[in-house]
Amino acid sequence: MSDFSGMEDLLQDFLVEAGDLLSGVDNKLVDLERAPNDTGLLNDIFRGFHTIKGGAGFLNAAELVTLCHLTENLFDKLRNGELEITPEVMDVILSSTGAVRDMFGYLEQGVQPGAADPHLIENLRLAIAGSLSHAAAAPSAPPEPARAAEPPRAVAEAPVPVAVQASEPDWNVLFETVTGTAVAAPAAVEPPAPVVMHQTDEDLARKSPDQIIKAAVGRRVTDKPGASGPVGRRDSEKQRDNSIRVDTARLDQVLNLSGEIGLTKNRLNALRSDILNGRNDTETLHALDLAVSQLDLLVSDLQNAVMKTRMQPIGRLFQKYPRIARDLARNLGKDVELVLSGEETEIDKTMIEDLSDPIIHLIRNAVDHGVEETQERLANGKPEKSIVRLEARQEGDHIVILVADDGRGMNAERLRAKAVEKGLITDEEANTMDERQSFNLVFLPGFSMASQISDVSGRGVGMDVVRTNIQKLNGSIEIRSSMGKGTTFIISLPLTLAILPVLLVRLGEQPFAVPLSMVREILPIEPAEVQEVGGRATMVVRGEVLPIMPLSSLLGWDPVQTPEYGVLMQSAEQSFILAIDSFAGREDAVIKSLDDFRPKGVAGVTTLSNGQIVLILDMKELLGALGDSRGGVSRRALLAAMDVPALAA
Amino acid sequence: MSDPKMKFLVVDDFSTMRRIVRNLLKELGFTNVDEAEDGQIALQKLNSLPFDFVVTDWNMPNMDGLTLLQNIRATPSLKHLPVLMITAEAKKENIIAAAQAGASGYIVKPFTAATLSEKLEKIFEKMGKKAA
Repeated sequence: MSDFSGMEDLLQDFLVEAGDLLSGVDNKLVDLERAPNDTGLLNDIFRGFHTIKGGAGFLNAAELVTLCHLTENLFDKLRNGELEITPEVMDVILSSTGAVRDMFGYLEQGVQPGAADPHLIENLRLAIAGSLSHAAAAPSAPPEPARAAEPPRAVAEAPVPVAVQASEPDWNVLFETVTGTAVAAPAAVEPPAPVVMHQTDEDLARKSPDQIIKAAVGRRVTDKPGASGPVGRRDSEKQRDNSIRVDTARLDQVLNLSGEIGLTKNRLNALRSDILNGRNDTETLHALDLAVSQLDLLVSDLQNAVMKTRMQPIGRLFQKYPRIARDLARNLGKDVELVLSGEETEIDKTMIEDLSDPIIHLIRNAVDHGVEETQERLANGKPEKSIVRLEARQEGDHIVILVADDGRGMNAERLRAKAVEKGLITDEEANTMDERQSFNLVFLPGFSMASQISDVSGRGVGMDVVRTNIQKLNGSIEIRSSMGKGTTFIISLPLTLAILPVLLVRLGEQPFAVPLSMVREILPIEPAEVQEVGGRATMVVRGEVLPIMPLSSLLGWDPVQTPEYGVLMQSAEQSFILAIDSFAGREDAVIKSLDDFRPKGVAGVTTLSNGQIVLILDMKELLGALGDSRGGVSRRALLAAMDVPALAA
Repeated sequence: MSDPKMKFLVVDDFSTMRRIVRNLLKELGFTNVDEAEDGQIALQKLNSLPFDFVVTDWNMPNMDGLTLLQNIRATPSLKHLPVLMITAEAKKENIIAAAQAGASGYIVKPFTAATLSEKLEKIFEKMGKKAA
């Protein structure tokens, strides 16, 4: 049973909206640290807590209301200039947003959150009373007598806990007695608890980056609720992940288009009856042509419109990162500002969720390894503060996401040496590697630095996992780096996962689809140019020796004829030539997944315009399935079909 | 007095809250409800469409509820409109400010359908008296 039966919809709405709001608040807090007197920011943050409090009240989440109320009061004083932001106050505020996020975590699981950490509440009260820094100066001091003697003042100032506010003042009575009656005051203010040390930088330093990220991101689907949270309340969470907020204008467009398609269908029905009744004059056929063209246009518009309903601005994802970057940098004693741009870029919602971890890792990597220690920066004539940029933009049918630091850059030679030392590559391989290939070594499983392993082991995310996750989204990741200037990670993703541009190739008469993103070029296979290297058929393309892999052998088919064409395929790991019999052109495939029955090496199926069903090949899996042999064949085997008739003649 | 066909405008920047108010109004039988995200948008809607009742949050970006109320009272075509202010606070100074600006009523979050109904009834009563 959930604590929220009957309110599930409301709860989900609240969590989605309030979650966004809180991420916005987190970001503004990072800005606020740099501009502590910005009234606009203070007002926005105040309103954020205020709004969350209002919503929480309707969910009867009394503890969340109390926490937000106190934080809001603190901001009220800050924006009125009654108080000033000190590092101590900032720490309390940051802990408070963390606590609010934790409470969202409980709500997500359908559980009323318990009271916030009493230390935090006490610190908030102290901050509101303007005596926090004093208290912080004497961390272990017992409660000061002066404070204990102050309850009357405290009452006067104390917020009215809204949850307790059952007896709301009667509007009319108050209106008439405007002069005096006090608003129903809270019965009592908790006696001041022993003054405890607030969360300091030392506290932060004791947190692992993992905790920082977790605190900022909140409870995740992948987290085990553990002792602090209830088990087995995953249903509501699933619901949340599966729901989507769509601009009504976009939905209206879908509705509109489906209506138009209905009308065109009626027109086609009428034309069909005409034609079946023997009318096939030019006029009728022309009308048919017109109707079909119109349908064509409408359907592609509809596809686009439906796709757009799945598109969300990537800013939703980006907005939680500045806080993470700030905490990580502070933790490492560095001064880093994360600069966002392109937040309005839209991307498929499912991808947004799957991008979260890889981007966190890249940012963490940039702050930890990319950016130098402050002293090193100063020695190199760089500004103390380093800028890490997180950018998104659309380039053609791709979305590009950049994580760029202005740090020390990657040293190709050191990377190679390290990979050799770890036994990931041989000396010989290392010697033939160019800069780009050397950078890509960081994506090898087991390459991570020792410190990285300990820091992120809890999450199980390393650079190899980052790349695997990006590739799962049919994307690619690339590194550009320049010594002393910085490193940029470039993620390139398709606009959507629902439609995949493919190249149709044929083996005999059987068509197959391969993802166009891997195809570099198509070239004829001339038997005279096929050479055998290390027992495998290869071809030299512009000076590069590439293995030839017949599609037939990848699929385990007997070759029927000698392949005439080669498709130069490039994946992150390798380039090779896929030998095929012929090809039929490119197509935008609408992928239907084979959920229950999925043969290895098949990503899904699609239907061609003539109704034929085509398998979409997953090249990576096909290659992987072959293990060491890697699908290469000898020159003789490749050309066998051709050789046989030659011998016979 | 309360006509179920009355057209309400619910003003709040938090869509969850608009939905809550909309649902509560529905419980009370008022289904003709439009929404606005802040005071500015609300004012635009009020100036272009006929409404019978405004329920507005106080704290909003761009234009807050109090300014919206003041604007309504200063506009001859709108000044008769009943305006119910919603706020999270029961602060005396807020209530006074709302009263001075000419609010028809004041309700503190969180509230139930019953509380809302009571507030609305009181406002209808007052309007009835004025009309009579």
